[in-house]
Amino acid sequence: MTFIILNRLFQAVLVLLFVALISFLIFRFVGNPVENLMGQEATLAQRAALEEALGLNDPIHIQYFDFLWKAVRFDFGNSYRGALPVAELIASRLPATLELALTSALFAVIFGVFMGIYTAINRGSVITNFILSSSLIGVSLPTFLIGILLIWLFSVELNWLPSFGRGEVVDLGWWKTGFLSESGLKSLVLPAITLGLYQMTLIMRLTRSEMLEVLRQDYIRLARALGLSNKAVYFFHALPNILIPVITIGGLQLGSVIAFAIITETVFQWPGVGLLFINAVYFVDIPVMSAYLLLVGFAFVLINLIVDLSYFFIDPRLRDSELKDEA
Amino acid sequence: MERFFRSDFFYHFRHAPVAIVSFVTIILIILAAIFANFIAPTNPFDPASLNLMNGFTPPLEANEFTGERFLLGTDDQGRDLFSTILYGLRISLFVGLMAVLLAMVMGVLLGLIAGFLGGWIDSVIMRFADIQMTFPSILVAMLIYGVARGILPPEVRYEMSIVVLIISIGLSEWVPFARTVRGSTLVEKEKEYVTAAKMIGLTRQQIMLRHILPNVLSPVLVIATITFALAIIAEATLSFLGVGVPSTKPSLGTLIRIGQDFLFSGEWWILLFPAVTLLALALSINLFGDWLRDILNPKLK
Amino acid sequence: MIEPLLEIKNLSVSLKKRDNISVAVDDLSLNLYPGEILGLVGESGAGKSMTGSAILGLIESPLYISAGTISLQGRSIIEAPENIRGSQISMIFQDPLVSLNPLKTIGEQLIKTIKTHFNISKAEALDRSKKLLSDVGIDPERIEAYPHTFSGGMRQRVVIALALAPEPSVIIADEPTTALDVSVQAQILNLLKQLCTERGTSIILITHDMGVISETTDRVAVLYSGRLVEIGKTSDVLQRPQHPYTAGLVASTPNIDPSSFDKKLFQIPGAMPDIDDVPDGCAFHPRCEHARDKCQKHRPPLFDARVSCWLSEKPGGTL
Repeated sequence: MTFIILNRLFQAVLVLLFVALISFLIFRFVGNPVENLMGQEATLAQRAALEEALGLNDPIHIQYFDFLWKAVRFDFGNSYRGALPVAELIASRLPATLELALTSALFAVIFGVFMGIYTAINRGSVITNFILSSSLIGVSLPTFLIGILLIWLFSVELNWLPSFGRGEVVDLGWWKTGFLSESGLKSLVLPAITLGLYQMTLIMRLTRSEMLEVLRQDYIRLARALGLSNKAVYFFHALPNILIPVITIGGLQLGSVIAFAIITETVFQWPGVGLLFINAVYFVDIPVMSAYLLLVGFAFVLINLIVDLSYFFIDPRLRDSELKDEA
Repeated sequence: MERFFRSDFFYHFRHAPVAIVSFVTIILIILAAIFANFIAPTNPFDPASLNLMNGFTPPLEANEFTGERFLLGTDDQGRDLFSTILYGLRISLFVGLMAVLLAMVMGVLLGLIAGFLGGWIDSVIMRFADIQMTFPSILVAMLIYGVARGILPPEVRYEMSIVVLIISIGLSEWVPFARTVRGSTLVEKEKEYVTAAKMIGLTRQQIMLRHILPNVLSPVLVIATITFALAIIAEATLSFLGVGVPSTKPSLGTLIRIGQDFLFSGEWWILLFPAVTLLALALSINLFGDWLRDILNPKLK
Repeated sequence: MIEPLLEIKNLSVSLKKRDNISVAVDDLSLNLYPGEILGLVGESGAGKSMTGSAILGLIESPLYISAGTISLQGRSIIEAPENIRGSQISMIFQDPLVSLNPLKTIGEQLIKTIKTHFNISKAEALDRSKKLLSDVGIDPERIEAYPHTFSGGMRQRVVIALALAPEPSVIIADEPTTALDVSVQAQILNLLKQLCTERGTSIILITHDMGVISETTDRVAVLYSGRLVEIGKTSDVLQRPQHPYTAGLVASTPNIDPSSFDKKLFQIPGAMPDIDDVPDGCAFHPRCEHARDKCQKHRPPLFDARVSCWLSEKPGGTL
């Protein structure tokens, strides 16, 4: 098993290096570090000196390793706008995005799995048909439109929930959280639903189709023939067997949630890294874009790795076959 | 043509009300977009025809200054919403269609190459596809968009924005095509007719294009339909985020962004009509795509 | 006369497809007596498995029970089959590789089944599970092993232990040895037979294999196109088949008698019709060399509680 973990780890690092390469290419060739640091007035000699100092004349692979070495120490250079260090900008925005992503992922997984199981068990019922047809509309609705419709209903018409911002945040010293204040929690509701709704429909449809598939298996027929109750059939036999695909997709969806947060954060003016990124795209702020790519890449690779490794804890067949491979 | 009407395909179509309704909706929307300049009362892209005094006119009501009436009301600039939606549809559909074509050509070609040649070319292409697939396509599109803006000199960014948009969305959606075509190619290339084609001395290109391509068309068609909906949503999303088409030539997404700004002040129609149009379009394409997938390849589910 | 344990009367299972209804099990009546092993034999699609599933109420739409009654010890079980599942009647399926939940240890699956039917502590359930495992010839020490660590034959032993766990009076074994190696088949059949004899449990053995029928069963029912064509004591039916189809089945079974090696194996011409295309009259008549006009028009009833064939209309009439 150690061998497998090391193997997956190695693959993860390879992917990360590839993402870093793209990130580096964007940073180095799309942006213009010299222009950025010196402005238009600098003389040619000054530029040449700076190019030398920044290592822009070094062989390209040296520059790449230099970029990597700096990235490991969270040195992504300065933002073109405001000249703040990119790392500092991201660090100040990260808690907002992570809290939003986590909340909506939990929402999506809990409701998605629950509704998926419900609609699989109660095939053809009125509620099932309602859930399934509204899920199709949900998939077709773009995220931003869902957000706006929610704002329209709950902020404009009913005036129940705030339509923008994070509310009051509590500073824990190393983390500014919205979880600890009433306005913070209220502010979280609409963005979290907006962000999680699409993933929820996906997880629901997946859970449902996996559940229907599992319920056709012979061990389910045997369990029924042996007189096991519906509850035992669904939760003792079927549920563990749908966990693997649900965790796979659910995990990958968590990654998408981080990326889709860009849209939700724009709709709700949520002060997270997504909003930072979209502004960077708008103003062609290359160092921020490059650092964001690296950050999201790291998050995705990490999630994939965790999903991959979680299989071994769920499926005894995998656990054993890998053990044999090792021996 | 007669063969088509007698086919199984047409039989299933006639017996699926959802397919008929969604197909008719798509056709109506496409026709409305194509003939926008005949249907629309004004040309919203022509600044000379706009009257700021007409701004914020509610649907069907007379404007308090000019007395003019508009079917769906006007936006903040005094643009007739009905006309603007029709012209905006043109942009949305055009960008969506071109992006799908780009994604399809690229995906089919790379898929054929990967599947037919195999070896390290296959590994490189599919490895890259795997990595790209880890990232949601909207993020990839945004990144390509940002990079393209960085590369282009500031003077042409504005004019090139639609092209940049098409390329960004197109490049972000090629992977599903490539995977499907590669999979089918791997299956098809083992079949006897390909061996036979090789025996009579056809070249690889001839075999790929003339023999394998027709066999992978139906899954490609299904993916293209679904990707079309995705591309339209992607365009609307990027325009909504303000990184898409310029606001003087608003697409549906741009209109929705403008509408959101006036939601709190009560001008609901600026948001509602473009949103409903976008939803109707995306939903119809998705429903039709779902139906097509069930009919053409039950296994794809 | 002995009262039947399980009584199936005029059972029909139908399939609704678009506008037309076809019949998969057609007006079938069968009795199962205490302690006996009844074989159900026929080609695939003859309605054998469907009958087994119908008894346990495990038939799913678009199939449904369209007519008939099923009763156990005189009480109808058709309305609430879930009450007798396991406790009275349990079932063994064909493929042991997919009959066990891959993510649960065999112990967990046994204990779950036992706890469903008996109000006992987990420790007692564990003891019973170990006892059952040793009864079916599996080392009780392996109770915490997962199904994938067992061979096909061993897994079918586990399935038998599961089927016996609720202490039912009937076990329906649906092709229990078909997916197994030939060398293991006899072991499993003997084990099943031995355990059921010890416990007084009746068996309905569903199979397409005449060899299995002749070695294992007390009585046999031959099905064709969802209909009962012949039923009787196994030795009678196999030695003196009354229905041309049964005769064909017997003649087409290979014999391991060296003197018959040079003989050509008999084949029944044609194939069994699809359930939506069953001919009028006797379903077998297009393949029957003795078919007459009557056979094409009228469906034969069961003569002498033995055979459904017009040839047997006169008492004592044989082929």
